[in-house]
Amino acid sequence: MYYELLENFWGNFLDPKKRIFAGYLLSAILIAFLWLVFRRNLSGREAVVKIFDRTVLFSRSSFADIKVFFINRVFTFFISPLLITQLVIATAIFNLLISLEWSVSNFGDIVPTPLVIASFTMFVFILDDLTKYIVHRWMHKLPFLWALHKVHHSAQHLTPMTIFRTHPLEGVVFSMRSAFVQGVSISVFFYIFGNKVDLATILGVNIFVFIFNALGSNLRHSHIGIRYWNWLEYILISPAQHHLHHSVASEHYDKNFGATLAIWDWIFGSLHHSVESETLSLGVDDKSDRDPNSLSDLYIKPLATCFRELVKYPIVITNYFARKLSKFRSCALDDSVSIETTNQSTRH
Amino acid sequence: MTKNSSIRSLVCAKLALLSSVTFISTAHAEGHAAATYGPFPVTLKGYDGSKTNSVSYTGQIARHVLHDSLKKLAGKGDGGGNAASLEAEMMAYFGGSDKNKAIIAPADKDGFEIKQETLNEISSGKNLSGKTYKGVINGWPGMMTGPEVIASMIKHAAQTDGGFDPNTGYNYPQLISKFTMGAVSYNQAVNNYLAGKLEADSKPNSKPYKDGKHYTGKEHSWDEAFGYWGAAAHSLGLTAKQNYDIAKMKDVAAADANGDGMVDLKSEYNFGHAYYASAFDKSGKTDYFNTITQAFIDGRMVITDAAGENLTDAARSELKALAAVIGENWEKVIAEAVFKYAGSVYKDIGALKSEMDSGADTSKTFAKYGKHWGELKGFALALQTGKRNLGETAVRLNRLTGFGPVLMNASQVTGMDPDGHYTKDEAISWGEYQMHMLKIQKLMVKEFKVVAQVNDQLENLSALADKLGDSNSAEND
Repeated sequence: MYYELLENFWGNFLDPKKRIFAGYLLSAILIAFLWLVFRRNLSGREAVVKIFDRTVLFSRSSFADIKVFFINRVFTFFISPLLITQLVIATAIFNLLISLEWSVSNFGDIVPTPLVIASFTMFVFILDDLTKYIVHRWMHKLPFLWALHKVHHSAQHLTPMTIFRTHPLEGVVFSMRSAFVQGVSISVFFYIFGNKVDLATILGVNIFVFIFNALGSNLRHSHIGIRYWNWLEYILISPAQHHLHHSVASEHYDKNFGATLAIWDWIFGSLHHSVESETLSLGVDDKSDRDPNSLSDLYIKPLATCFRELVKYPIVITNYFARKLSKFRSCALDDSVSIETTNQSTRH
Repeated sequence: MTKNSSIRSLVCAKLALLSSVTFISTAHAEGHAAATYGPFPVTLKGYDGSKTNSVSYTGQIARHVLHDSLKKLAGKGDGGGNAASLEAEMMAYFGGSDKNKAIIAPADKDGFEIKQETLNEISSGKNLSGKTYKGVINGWPGMMTGPEVIASMIKHAAQTDGGFDPNTGYNYPQLISKFTMGAVSYNQAVNNYLAGKLEADSKPNSKPYKDGKHYTGKEHSWDEAFGYWGAAAHSLGLTAKQNYDIAKMKDVAAADANGDGMVDLKSEYNFGHAYYASAFDKSGKTDYFNTITQAFIDGRMVITDAAGENLTDAARSELKALAAVIGENWEKVIAEAVFKYAGSVYKDIGALKSEMDSGADTSKTFAKYGKHWGELKGFALALQTGKRNLGETAVRLNRLTGFGPVLMNASQVTGMDPDGHYTKDEAISWGEYQMHMLKIQKLMVKEFKVVAQVNDQLENLSALADKLGDSNSAEND
């Protein structure tokens, strides 16, 4: 078990499908170095010291990220087989589509294969990014989900390992989102284009995902606040924009939910341009003196809060309908009174 | 087809096998245990001849040989020059001949010597036409009966060059072979010998099958059904691969049960659907061959146990249960073949589309597509000659397959004129026809619970899912 856990841990650094793949980390370090030297005018040595800032990398927050990673592997081991996979969803949707007896046009025949591959690759990437935005927004807006997502936001220092700082139940939600996106994409494209469908990849990874990761996606969770040009921050989320998303300042609440594209934030009104990251205080503005890196705050408390928020729903719904009913009855009563009054006055 | 339903079907198949084996071993706890189909003793009351083995199914083996030879002949056309003589020759194998015809297939191969060279060495006076399914074949143009369809195919095959007609996409050796296997062997076994002839008033066990014969009515009925199944008598002791290699003439050691250095077609060779069962069983997902062959052996022992008396109701119930196991599994073998070749046609269409896109020569792929389509169509028609009225399933299968494959000029055979010529019309698109193949695969899974699922085209879906990566990721932004 321990061996498997360690293997699993190191495996993340060797798998280009994972965000913390060694190649992506190296490219992030290189980009950070160039940014610090050419934009912040630091010397090479200063830049290296900044990048490998011990107060960040060896912080309690950072160690808690790694602790969560290992504990979550154990949960994943048990939960994972129970989760619905993209293949199950894809097969179910595909079977539904072919049982509808729709007449498929020869659209699939006339579209050249490279165009089909390009369309599929882009479709998966965009749908994946859009649903990440939507689910991430829910995580902040719905109290029972925020109780879970708060674990991620409780990090006071961001490092690439912070992407693993997730409550296991939130992991289940992510998993279902991903399965849905992939299941829909595969089945619909396979239905229309058949075997022409393929994924354009680099090192076995969706080409867009690879580019995103190779261009420093790991800096989103880091202390290097790279900012983009203003216009570009409407299209792509810069690392500094994501740092702002983790800010405790109330004016930064519920901003920049996007994963790769900033377009969704722009469209749905949650975009905030970057500020100097160094001015930001990260984490959750919790007035209590609890330790956000304790196992209790990382696992048990979120679960309890989530449950408490969930059980409110029946009460909220009941109250809602009760209010509606009461309003309806009072309106009906008013009507009957006025009719009666009218009749009486007529009689007089 | 989901993995779950695959597993369910596999478990069902295993349970069916297990329950049948348990059932039989209980019923015959007294001591008979046969690993081979025969020899079984003569039980006919009052028989005073010298025969000691009551097993006889040479007529069925002769029909397998007629079929194999007919298939071989169907590919001998030279484009019209030899049409008349070839048609006559093929009809001699289909309709029977007074002459002692040569065995064209299976014939000697290097290291695989066949004992018999002529049909009369197996059985004389046999034909296929008399035993072909007499109902109307709705899935083939012309509203013809089974024998009429085969005769029509033979006529057209004789006019082709090598059995393939590019104008219709028909590969006659495949069409004739796959349809005949169903219309003759499957139909006769499950519709006749394992059906009506199991009733008390038909071919009683207390009387000879025919006057002068040394086997009883029930013994021979069961033997004939086994003969149509086509498995070698000793095949139960062999692996799926060995049985498969026997039919492929690659494993003489496995075939030559009596060690005389030759393969006796009467008992040492795997014919017909038994061969296909072994092909699917090689995957390890199914056990059709052993399930069916074991049921045949067990049934024969039930009859032998009756010792020449009429079968009791309990014994006949037992036989009917075994006949049901045979029928269900046999039907599945054919459905697996439909599934497999629908997958092949799907792949061929993909290859054809790529070749058309790039302007490459499509002739070889088109011929391969025609061959696979012929196999698909032949098995699809065969499936409809069984005991069960497939109703809506048959209609769907026929409509999805069409009367012919979609051709390179976007046309398709849609019927037959009164003179027996095929008529063609505009075809559905390649994409839609390709989708039909997936629907056929889905239909086979849904209606027949096929398990082996060779050439499962939804595997591409699975491969794509793998490529997209693990959806079970806990990475958080």
